[in-house]
Order: sequence, then structure tokens, then C-alpha cells
Amino acid sequence: MKKSWGLKRAVVAVGVAAAATLAAPVAQAADVCSVWLVENSRFMNVPFGMFHPDRSFVQGSDNPRNNVNKVDLPVNVGVIKCGNELILYDNGWNQTDYHKMTGTGHWSPLSKQIAQLGFDAKDVKKVIVGHGHWDHAGSLDEFPNAILYIQKEELRGIEWALNYPHPRISAVNDSPGGCSRTPACGYPAKTVDSIYSKILRGKAVIVDGEMEVLPGVRIHPAFRAHTAGSQLLEVPTSIGKLVFGSDAYSSWEGIRDWEIANPQQTVTVQKFLAYEKCY
Amino acid sequence: MQTETSGPQRTARVAALKGFGLGALAVGLIALVAVAAVRETAKPKQQEVATNSAFGHSERPAMTAAEEAYAHALWPVHAQVKLDAVKMTFAGLAYKMGDIKRAAVKDRVAPLTPRFDSALAEINKLQPPASMRDLHGEYVEAIKLYRDASAIMIRLAADGRDEHLIEAQERSEKASGLTLKVGDTLWPGEYKPN
Repeated sequence: MKKSWGLKRAVVAVGVAAAATLAAPVAQAADVCSVWLVENSRFMNVPFGMFHPDRSFVQGSDNPRNNVNKVDLPVNVGVIKCGNELILYDNGWNQTDYHKMTGTGHWSPLSKQIAQLGFDAKDVKKVIVGHGHWDHAGSLDEFPNAILYIQKEELRGIEWALNYPHPRISAVNDSPGGCSRTPACGYPAKTVDSIYSKILRGKAVIVDGEMEVLPGVRIHPAFRAHTAGSQLLEVPTSIGKLVFGSDAYSSWEGIRDWEIANPQQTVTVQKFLAYEKCY
Repeated sequence: MQTETSGPQRTARVAALKGFGLGALAVGLIALVAVAAVRETAKPKQQEVATNSAFGHSERPAMTAAEEAYAHALWPVHAQVKLDAVKMTFAGLAYKMGDIKRAAVKDRVAPLTPRFDSALAEINKLQPPASMRDLHGEYVEAIKLYRDASAIMIRLAADGRDEHLIEAQERSEKASGLTLKVGDTLWPGEYKPN
């Protein structure tokens, strides 16, 4: 879950905004959960336009839509405690060498980070990934007892892109340091293997649309947004419903104007042509 | 004990004290200016060090020409290996999701075995610089693991036992960890924030 500004405010705002739109009835009386937001790491100096194409930086511009060059993006993980159930929304990434070689801030294993909240990685029962990108589903190995929840649409979307007969779509990464926006390139082999490992060992639920995982704790599909099979998580808390999103928005304006962040799937001719032209 | 002093003596003492005070003040001001100047000139460097230290970065040393040539030559092999590795994993995933039958797993994975063999042949032609021999060895090991994984995986078609998939997955995940590590060194930032 990455958000650029006023993160906690943004999450609450997303929650409030999204809660108002959630029409589906909750099956049982909702328990009240406690939630924490853990900053697993922070990507430094990321070009803002990379995540929000219509906000591309223009040198010398005083237009607030075009005068932000680079941003630092926290990689956040939702830690959710409902009764005895410990749930994670997303799980960041796990790559020590990447940390050493890039401008990444303060990464450390997520299991150690949640230990500071008094939680044991072995007690995490569910990991719900907003989507399957490496920086959101990259620490699954640290939670051996957890059941992974991932959308079937997400897996199908990756497979579709992988088998597409055009290298600009199917590329896992088509140039050194150059691939970041094509539909398949956010899924390194290691991440896909970790997801597959959970599925093979009976430690995964492949979700098909909406699902209530605990009373009041509900997965909502956000298909054809950031990725083909993104999903949100609605959580009841003492201050109302919160909805966790994963790269759902890049800024407050994005939330206000319903501009999704960095869509990386190809469902329209326009997007296909954009990939063709840009990459 | 009290002492008495005459008028001229007192005037001389006051003048001496004033002189001493002014001198001390001047020395103090000069010292202050000197300290401020030193701090000001050193400020950017101190800030930079603190930032790097806080984030735990280590500066990546520049590659030598030989290292760059090796990274450049390995890239096309790496690009294809990654794609084939993910396709192999997705054959298993599609089977577990009920999208394909076990015979189709073999149909999808069998062609990948000779491709991993070709990748191995290609990489064996490369001459890594001394500084990258260990890395090269890890990459060779990774491709062998992928190749073995593909050979094991297609046994599923014969008997339908998931154990083959698990055995193959363990090799594949180890291999993908190795290729990721090599990639971090040779192509830092290969995977962007997504």
C-alpha cells in the first residue's frame, strides 16, 4: 500500500469515502477491529508522474498538477486485529540486496516490524494482498501459517499478459532498469513463486470477487484499476469502517477526483496503444 | 577583609578590567565566528552522511568496463529466463486453479526445458571478470535449478501427484531468489516501485 501524502489522513479519507459507497450488507454483526499502519520501507525520489501520469513534471511550471517532480513513497502494510485473528493487508517486500543498491529508506523484515507492536509472525492468520506486485506480496515467506487471499482475476490477468504475443505486453522486464509500467513487469519470478507456494500447499484462498473473511471484514474487488485483480479490504473499527487500498490512489486529489493510481493493465485499445507508444 | 584604594589607583584598575573584558569579548566573538564558519561549510556533508546513515544506504561502486560488458551480455539471457520461469510457475497455477488438465501442464512446461538448456549454453560462453565469478556461478546454478524444476514438473502428467509440483516449486523458488540477487547487483533498480 503506497500513498504519497498525508498517509493516515488519506487512508481514513479513503475509508470514509469508500464506506459511503459500500452497499453490500454485512452478513453478521461486525466485530470492532484494531488497526495499525506499518511503514515497511520508503521508496525515495520516485518520479511523481510515474504513478500519476497526468501529473507529469513540467520544468518551471507553477501549475500544481505539474510542479511536483519527485516524491517519497512509503510502502505501508495494514495490521488488523479482530478478536484473536491477526490479519495483514499487503506484506511489503523482502529483498536485502535491493535495499542496499537503491535509494530505499529504512527497510527491515516485516516480521520484525510487527514484533515491535507485540505481534508474532507465526500468529498472522490471514494475509490479504491488495494485488500481487513484488512490493505488496513480497514477504509471504515470513508468515508460514497465514492463509493468502488473492483474487483469481489478479492471477488470470498476469497470465494473460504473460502469454500475450507482443513483447511490450508480455515482458516481465524488457530492458535493464527500464520496465516499470507494463502489465507483467511488477511480478518477478520470486514473488510469483511465493504466491504459487501458498496455493500448492493449501495455504491460499483464491477469491472470486467479494468475500467476507470475518464478520464485517470484507474483501471488495477493484478490478481493472491499478492491476487487473486488485482488491480492497473493509474493516470495522471503533471510529467507523476503514477501507484499505493498495496503490488505489496516488494523492488526495486522486481520491477526490476518483483518479486511480498508475493503472497497469490493458483492457482497452487506448491503453494497449499507450503501452505500444510509450514503452 | 576589606582593602581601600585611592582614586587614581581605582581608575587604573577599572581601565585594566575594561581592557581585559573587551579583549575577552573580541576573542569570544572571533571564536564564535570561526565555529559558525566551520559548521556552515561542513553542513551539507554532515546532512548527507546523516541521511545515508538513517536509510542504511551503501554507495554502489561503479562497474568496471569488463563488469559492464558482462552485465550487458547476460541481460538477454536473463530477460528470457525470467519470462520462462514465470510461465513455468503459471502452468502450475493454472492447473491448481482448475483452468487446465495435467496433460496441459506438460504441454506448457516441456518446451521450457530445452530453453533453459539453451540459456545454460549461452551463459557458459560468457567469460565473467574475476570480480563476478561467484555471481556467475550463482546464475549458472539458478538456470540448472529451473531446468530441473521443469523436468520434474512434467512428471505430473503421468501420475497426477502434486508432490512433483511441490518438488519443482522448491527448486524454482530457490532459482528465482538467486536470479533476483544477481539482478540487484548487475541491474540495480531492475524492478521499480509498483
